[in-house]
Amino acid sequence: MRSLGLVWLSLRLGVLNALQYRVDFFIQLFQSVIGLGTALAAIAVVFSQTDELGGWTRDELVALVGVFFLVGGLVNVVIRPSMERLMEGVRLGTLDFTLTKPADAQILVSTRQVDVWRLVDVVLGSVVIVIAITRLGERVGVEHATAFGLVLIAGMAIIYSFLLVLATLAFWLVRLENILVIFATMYEAGRWPVGLYPPWLRLALTVVVPVAFAITVPVETLVGRLEPATLVTTVVLAVVFLVGSRWFWKFGLRHYTGASA
Amino acid sequence: MPELGRLRAVYAAKFRAEIALQFAYRGSLVIWLLGLLIQPIVYLVVWTTVARSQGGAVGGFRAGDFAAYFTMLMIVNQLTFTWHFLEFEWRIRNGFFSPLLLRPIHPAHNDVAENLTFKLLTFTVVVPVAVFLLISFGATFETQAWQVAAFVPALVLAMALRFTFEWTLALAAFWITRTGALNQAYFVAMLFFSGQVAPLALMPAVVQAIATLLPFRWMVSFPVETALGRLGPTEVLVGYGAQLAWIAAAVILLRVVWRAGIRRYSAVGA
Amino acid sequence: MTAASIRVTDLRKTYQVPEREGGLRAAAGSIFRRSTKSVPAVAGITFDVSPGEIVGFLGPNGAGKTTTLKMLSGLLYPTSGEATALGHVPWRRETDFLRRMTLIMGQRNQLAWDIPVIDSFELNRAIYGVSRAEYNVRLDELVELLDVGDLVRKPVRNLSLGERMKCEIAGSLLHRPEMLFLDEPTIGLDVTMQRRIRSFIAEYNARTGATTLLTSHYMGDVEALCRRVIVIHHGSLLYDGDLTGLVERFAPRKTISIDLEPDQPALEPGVLAGLAGGPDAVVQHGAERVTLRVPRSETAAVTTRLLGRVAVRDLVVEEPPIDEVIDLVFAAGPSDAAERAETAAAQPVA
Repeated sequence: MRSLGLVWLSLRLGVLNALQYRVDFFIQLFQSVIGLGTALAAIAVVFSQTDELGGWTRDELVALVGVFFLVGGLVNVVIRPSMERLMEGVRLGTLDFTLTKPADAQILVSTRQVDVWRLVDVVLGSVVIVIAITRLGERVGVEHATAFGLVLIAGMAIIYSFLLVLATLAFWLVRLENILVIFATMYEAGRWPVGLYPPWLRLALTVVVPVAFAITVPVETLVGRLEPATLVTTVVLAVVFLVGSRWFWKFGLRHYTGASA
Repeated sequence: MPELGRLRAVYAAKFRAEIALQFAYRGSLVIWLLGLLIQPIVYLVVWTTVARSQGGAVGGFRAGDFAAYFTMLMIVNQLTFTWHFLEFEWRIRNGFFSPLLLRPIHPAHNDVAENLTFKLLTFTVVVPVAVFLLISFGATFETQAWQVAAFVPALVLAMALRFTFEWTLALAAFWITRTGALNQAYFVAMLFFSGQVAPLALMPAVVQAIATLLPFRWMVSFPVETALGRLGPTEVLVGYGAQLAWIAAAVILLRVVWRAGIRRYSAVGA
Repeated sequence: MTAASIRVTDLRKTYQVPEREGGLRAAAGSIFRRSTKSVPAVAGITFDVSPGEIVGFLGPNGAGKTTTLKMLSGLLYPTSGEATALGHVPWRRETDFLRRMTLIMGQRNQLAWDIPVIDSFELNRAIYGVSRAEYNVRLDELVELLDVGDLVRKPVRNLSLGERMKCEIAGSLLHRPEMLFLDEPTIGLDVTMQRRIRSFIAEYNARTGATTLLTSHYMGDVEALCRRVIVIHHGSLLYDGDLTGLVERFAPRKTISIDLEPDQPALEPGVLAGLAGGPDAVVQHGAERVTLRVPRSETAAVTTRLLGRVAVRDLVVEEPPIDEVIDLVFAAGPSDAAERAETAAAQPVA
């Protein structure tokens, strides 16, 4: 529980810091609204030529956009900035200060930096999801919504673990400053259902960069199209990813200590 | 002319320096390559799916046409895009602009040279990616020989236009401390009016009409349309005209904004 | 002497700085309304520099040194006033002017970070249109003078701060500028490296006759290089002249140190005070060593009186350390410092 308290304190500090720069809020709001408008406009353009896209209806795709913004927002609020800071810490050696603190280093580095205005994306994404759900109507039952929440959390855990692994690679590949761009690039492909893509890319989006679990799978759960087996797989995979990434992080840490000595 | 000789020497030296730089960042280049590959695939896949669900073709585009369109779009994008407007704010804030200003040569030359060498270098990677996309998505072309030839000037003019235009946009950093929002607005306009989301032919009539009046189509979509053999001789000539007119306008705008921007930069402190 | 190579007349630069009060309300308000105030950075300065001179700019942080340097090198438009450098108005940034000058800043690097130094040099060669033959000669010369032979093939990021500065200087001089603007060229460097760079600047000046303007926090730089200094404080010219004159003006006292012959009767404090011109003048009074601080004009008289009264083994008359003088200058405002210097000089000698 001490760790949770630590996370809270870290986040609080980030929020206080961000409140100093209110202009950033308006800039972020502007950018997020434009981004969302663009995504919805793109769907409108596509659906001006067709009624369904690879088995997905317009409202389902709107829900997908909502989840894309929600998950992307959550990643950008704390995970990505913290990972960037971690990589910078490895590069400049400032990680030393973090490692000498009497607390779990993984938790510390994962919550070091908060980009609080990115919460705008989370809010906008949530609003879009709610709108989509009302339009989808009774197809979304209580059990679907619960499962959606569960899968969403599992998906977030998977993405967090993946980013931690990418950032941990910085212990060896110090000069590869833009390694997180791999994630950002693949995440963009998650704007559309992964089922549309050719098999090799679908596989990459599921196994190599697990964007599918964070966006497509939760929406399929929401609209009741998900097999129970996939749900179980997602949750199990989340646990595997969490444990695996923690092991890899500790392994990388040994390398860091070795390199700086 | 000695001035021209000096410019050539500058470009040659910049080219060598840039090769060394890219070599130092070869790992990052591989990651960049991934983005290059994924981007065209996204909309290519979406529109191919639409075409299939509509009985094989939509708005005169079959699956193979989309493959050709989005692959050519990637090539044209790759050759015309610039990144200086994303860097200008950082450049000014960290004092990297002042040294450029004190060189006895216009700072734009630095960026043109950087741009051209980056394009030349990366083109060796773009070609195999394009070939992979064309083959794996079964692209089809109905291009005639004259249209292949017509593509070259369209592309060159598009490069000149987009560079001039985006370099002028970059100068906004002299007045605005955070240019992110402005740049994003520009991106969105580019996305819809230059044929990135969909071929302009598939856009609503209003968007098509606006796109003809704005410069974006002439920076990207027009060369792609020419390469796909979708334009007749008259349309191509009109396109050249539009490109030249926009280049002239952009150059004038650049000069005006540059002069005002430099005056401001020199007034508020470097 | 020919015409001045730099001529500055009543040059002024005033910045508009946004002003904001603390607190959230003020922060939110400032998004829409912005109040500014004028801050004079350079408040009207006038001076000339002759060709080949090395002039040191002194002043505390924020005195207007860098602003002046930036105006003279063409980066900043002045608010009012005039200046010419090498016959050009600097802020017009005419090609002929830019080709003949260079600006080196100790805290900024202009060489590309990730590529070998020599590649950046090649680029400069092209930009300044230096012929291959000339380039080779100059490169050899600079490499030798700065001792950077094996550094130029390394990427900049692998160099130490001092090595980077040496390469930075070499790269900025490949076009053999006739005018050098150096802003804190030795900042952050260790003493050996500072000395090295100083002697290089002196050597370059001697060989090429380049007019050199230098700002520095290190008095060592100024002492070693500049016979003439210009002191700026709060944007105004406080002093312009040679270094010894600065000392005379702002440090009106000299230090006299005497080693006494051991075999003589001890000197009474009252007697010593009388010889020195007052008890305040006695800094140290030991059996074998006496230190006095006396007004400049009294030095000869005091020395004569002492020599006539006591057996002296050794006697040294010294100027105070230049650092102390500078402290004295900056401790007070412009008018203050001058005033205090005058009162000190006018103090009666009993």
